[in-house]
Amino acid sequence: MTRAVAKSELGVGARLLRKEDARHLNGKGQFVSDLKFPNLQDVAFVRSPHAHARIKSISIPADLEGQVFAADHLPHLTEMRAVPQVSGFRVAGYPALAKDKVRFVGEIIAACIAPTRGEAEDLVGQINVEYEILPAIVDPESVLESAPSLLHEGWPNNLYIERVFEGGKVDEAKQAAEIVVERRYRMNRQVAVPMEGRAVLAYRDQRLDELVVYDSTQVPHIIRLGLAEVLGIEERVIRVVAPDVGGGFGSKARLLPEEVIVAALGAQLDHPVRWIEDRGEHFLSSTHARDHDYKITAYADARGAILAVDAELIVDAGAYALWPNGPFLETGMAARNIPGPYNIRNWRVKSFTVATNKAPIGPYRGVGRPGACFAIERTIDEIARQVGRDPLDVRFDNLVQPSQMPYMTIANLLFDNGDYPGLLRLCAETIDVAAVRARQKKGEPDGRLIGLGFACYSEQTGHGCGEWVTRGSPFIPGFESCRAQLMPDGTLVLYVGIQSHGQGLETTLAQVAYEELGIHPAKISVRHGDTGLSPFGNGTIASRSTVMAGGAVAKTSRLLREKVIQVGAHLLQCSPSEARCEGGAVHGPRGSVTIEEVARVAHLRMEALPEGVEPLLTVTSTYQPAIDTGVFTFAAHAAVVAVDVRTGAIEVLDYGVAEDCGTVINPMIVEGQVRGGVVQGIGTALYEEIPYDEQGQPLVGTFSDYLMPGSAEMPEIKVAHTETPTSFTEYGVKGMGEGGAIAPAASIANAVRDALASIGAEVNETPLTPRRVLAAIRAARDRVSPANGRGQRK
Amino acid sequence: MQIRLTVNGKPVRADVTPRTSLADFLREALNLTATHLGCEHGICGACTVTLNGQPIRACLTLAVACDGYEVRTLEGLLTDEIMLALRDAFHRHHGLQCGFCTPGMLVSARDLIQRGKAGSDSEIRKGLSGNICRCTGYTDIVRSVRKAAEALSEAGKVRSPSGDVSKVPA
Amino acid sequence: MKAAAFEYARADSLAEAIKVLCSATEAGQDAQVVAGGQSLLAMMNLRVSSPDLLVDISRIEQLRVVLDESDAIRIGACVTHAAIEDRAMADPSRGLMPMVAGNLAYRAVRTRGTLGGSLALSDPAGDWVTVMQAIGARIGLVGDKGRREVEALGFTTGLYETARAPTEIIESVRIPKLSAAARWGFSKFCRKSGEFAHSIAAVVIDPERDFARIMLGGSGAAPMCLERASQSLLQRAGLQSVERAAEDDLANRDDAHDEFQRSVHGATISSALSQVLS
Repeated sequence: MTRAVAKSELGVGARLLRKEDARHLNGKGQFVSDLKFPNLQDVAFVRSPHAHARIKSISIPADLEGQVFAADHLPHLTEMRAVPQVSGFRVAGYPALAKDKVRFVGEIIAACIAPTRGEAEDLVGQINVEYEILPAIVDPESVLESAPSLLHEGWPNNLYIERVFEGGKVDEAKQAAEIVVERRYRMNRQVAVPMEGRAVLAYRDQRLDELVVYDSTQVPHIIRLGLAEVLGIEERVIRVVAPDVGGGFGSKARLLPEEVIVAALGAQLDHPVRWIEDRGEHFLSSTHARDHDYKITAYADARGAILAVDAELIVDAGAYALWPNGPFLETGMAARNIPGPYNIRNWRVKSFTVATNKAPIGPYRGVGRPGACFAIERTIDEIARQVGRDPLDVRFDNLVQPSQMPYMTIANLLFDNGDYPGLLRLCAETIDVAAVRARQKKGEPDGRLIGLGFACYSEQTGHGCGEWVTRGSPFIPGFESCRAQLMPDGTLVLYVGIQSHGQGLETTLAQVAYEELGIHPAKISVRHGDTGLSPFGNGTIASRSTVMAGGAVAKTSRLLREKVIQVGAHLLQCSPSEARCEGGAVHGPRGSVTIEEVARVAHLRMEALPEGVEPLLTVTSTYQPAIDTGVFTFAAHAAVVAVDVRTGAIEVLDYGVAEDCGTVINPMIVEGQVRGGVVQGIGTALYEEIPYDEQGQPLVGTFSDYLMPGSAEMPEIKVAHTETPTSFTEYGVKGMGEGGAIAPAASIANAVRDALASIGAEVNETPLTPRRVLAAIRAARDRVSPANGRGQRK
Repeated sequence: MQIRLTVNGKPVRADVTPRTSLADFLREALNLTATHLGCEHGICGACTVTLNGQPIRACLTLAVACDGYEVRTLEGLLTDEIMLALRDAFHRHHGLQCGFCTPGMLVSARDLIQRGKAGSDSEIRKGLSGNICRCTGYTDIVRSVRKAAEALSEAGKVRSPSGDVSKVPA
Repeated sequence: MKAAAFEYARADSLAEAIKVLCSATEAGQDAQVVAGGQSLLAMMNLRVSSPDLLVDISRIEQLRVVLDESDAIRIGACVTHAAIEDRAMADPSRGLMPMVAGNLAYRAVRTRGTLGGSLALSDPAGDWVTVMQAIGARIGLVGDKGRREVEALGFTTGLYETARAPTEIIESVRIPKLSAAARWGFSKFCRKSGEFAHSIAAVVIDPERDFARIMLGGSGAAPMCLERASQSLLQRAGLQSVERAAEDDLANRDDAHDEFQRSVHGATISSALSQVLS
């Protein structure tokens, strides 16, 4: 499968400038909220102000009939049901419009329609809902004992699922341990905050007799599936189009009530309707993320080699399981990534996926891995301190070595290749460890304490059929599709099933096609995001697009090339085996013919086609990588911080990443993905959190209280790369889109630990707010325990 | 209420409700959709446009309050010298990914360069703190702005810090 | 979210503005003055505030005038933060005000937001409220009963409450010119550039005018004058003595039990003081 490719200026490996830039730089981007339709009306929602309540009545003023829709007005809608194939998972439906009960603040009870959003919101104010308030379940831990109320009728408790993951023999292995490190870690709930919120616009196309849904989504075909199911209509009469999408990061990869309701209204009414999420709604009811609680007990020998990890993991999954996968995906990924990239042979995770009266959680860049990385990377640092060794050295000892590749982890993740220690070394170089240590020793004029921390991870990407089946996914996104269509004039259109929302796939996929066909990327159009155009595909999630869509484009282009050669050879009066396709032309022993000429013949001059070759030059195919278990991208991150012990403020002075994601199609785009991911990770590390009070009220609602990483606080992110192609994909590519966000919470928390080593303070909860840092410093100073701060740095 | 203003160099007359923000007026009444809404509380910067030459938040400005004023959005700044350099630099240096924050970012960056506040990375970072980007991690944006400022400087096209802000033309 | 509906009136003169305010108030309407609107419109967009009538005073020339009154500069209430940042007028504060202005929110907010608007809102986390009180400014108010001037110190009477009557408008802010030997210090603690501060410390000492004041803002309903520390500063005590006195002042605060807040206040106060007492 792997082919080494010579670097070119336009193909795989080129820093090709992006084709998609032009429209955005001209102010001609087309996001859902930019679309204009005659008679378009706006939707605003009546949302529950209570976390847990029975709905006693909904009063809609008579003069608003036809403008207000509650559950009873759309009785044909079925509930969204996430049914993963995971035994023991409790299924409960998620009604798009609440009927009997509301289960989180922000849950939708009714939709109001008006010519403008402001007027629709005015209508919302006129709807009166009577509630019987029920006790809110807010603390996931409380669920494990008893609960004052049940979220879902018929469940014995508020647990989606309890599951123990294990491998090896933890109870045996821990007997040999010479040191034990026990810690609790929390990664608090947050949201994805793409700059464009969610948005849905729907109308009935009378000419085509289909429902058209413009949706700011990452997964248009999957959304079509879900809408067809819930609305009870055939898929062939729904078209879902994701136009320009202003970021998704996983949060736009689930079917959410607003999409269902707007689509239903669009199908029913005689004018288009749209809902444009405002920022407050985003905090309230978009896909929430993270919210993990870990108890880790690690057993190691006197050198810090980890013998076993015994863990308890609680994932606070919120009130409903989001369609299609539900929250166990999060828990499973977190549990299986606790061993990280380390050679840990005994592992156990007792996991609890808990239902609470909060917004439902779903995927967000990294999914379960940022939490798992935080847990294991902090633990490695504590192990190192306890055995008196440099955390870097303890990492080197524990990392899976190149000689062990391919390496099956105890959690059944098959690392395909990679030089993990080599990358960790490269990462340390990007940061100039010696200089940081010198600066630390010298002391800062302003009294702040300097610290350096590392974290690494191995990210499963492009995983296929078998892996998704193992995870119990109801749909198996183990392939991608492409239709490659040569136009009569020899230009090329690629129709793909993924959706590019910032990742530059309109450019990278053109680079791949160029690699195979020699057609200049400027003459290639990449069409994505539209179920009316592209063959069925699984969308852009799970760091899959480069592997899957890149592979599909490569394969399909090659199939197309074969036919081009057939026709071209015939025109050149030679056999196909004597001809080759290169530089946009077919070359034979006696001359060349351009792809344009070949295309013209195939469409317009069929008499010149060879025997048995049909007109047109369009090929559709699907692609799956040669391995199901994914190809693994490894990265090591290093953070240098300055901590102010009076205010608890943390400044990230420097940040370095060393990564290997296999063959890189476009280094400029890959670096951009790393940097963007890292800054999101810094957001997780330092700023972002949605706390809830005891009544289940979320305590943030604007950017004043939900802080976002801004340009003034972020360091320059240094990125170093090695390229070790994998054997299992086209060109040896791997995915890498999520990775940057996985490690920063860990590297920064470790850096803070290093900075505060003399005090012995640890902060094991994200975000590491000034308040938490000061509390940790105070706790360390109050503590008399001998176990802290004993680690000696070299 | 009747208002008359100049938008991207063209005179506009319209009848708007008082509560219509300038952002919604531009986007919905004039179909100038480059200006985006990311928060409607003035922090994210996606709605940044210029009013009488100064960058403002279109989400926190009422259309009725702009009567008699001059508004420019990205669409009306495309051939501006500084904006040309910026757009070229953003393309060359990967200063955008999803593109949603980009119009506001460009308007803010142009103002920075115009006022002579794009002399260093840290100055640029401080100056762009009012524009949130979720995709790029800022490194490539800062480089793009710096490169644009350098190119303009080399070509002798950067003007000295702009005129008197205390004068708000009626 | 979109604001609820309201009526809008643009006043071309102070007299007109006051007249409209008065008649609206008499008619039982909730009328609000709007200048830059950067705070008010944000609240209205969230429907946290929904006035019936907005009276736009941003075009009133009189409110943008800057006067030199020999020992003070009087700045019109509608002068923007950006104008102060850009030093578009004489600066009585020897650099304090332009510096504060330049670090307030974001440029695109500063071009519309006004000094008077900030003071009228009196958000405890707003910089001007603390700084104007530190520098001993006076606030000029005008209403249907005429003009009056009050000390900025004490202008804030509670959370978002001020001494301004509902039918009064802030007309100007009179800032005494700092003498050549005056010194100032300013420090604020924000986690992120442009966001509201958790602690703001502003110190002004002008021995020639027998004036020393240390103000602490950012948390609590109103900025607090650190009386003991200000006294100590006036008496030319050293940094450590003044800091100790400040600690005593801090112990009297409502949030004194909040160790984090105390530590942060201590940090900004120290930082501001060390700019003055190096």
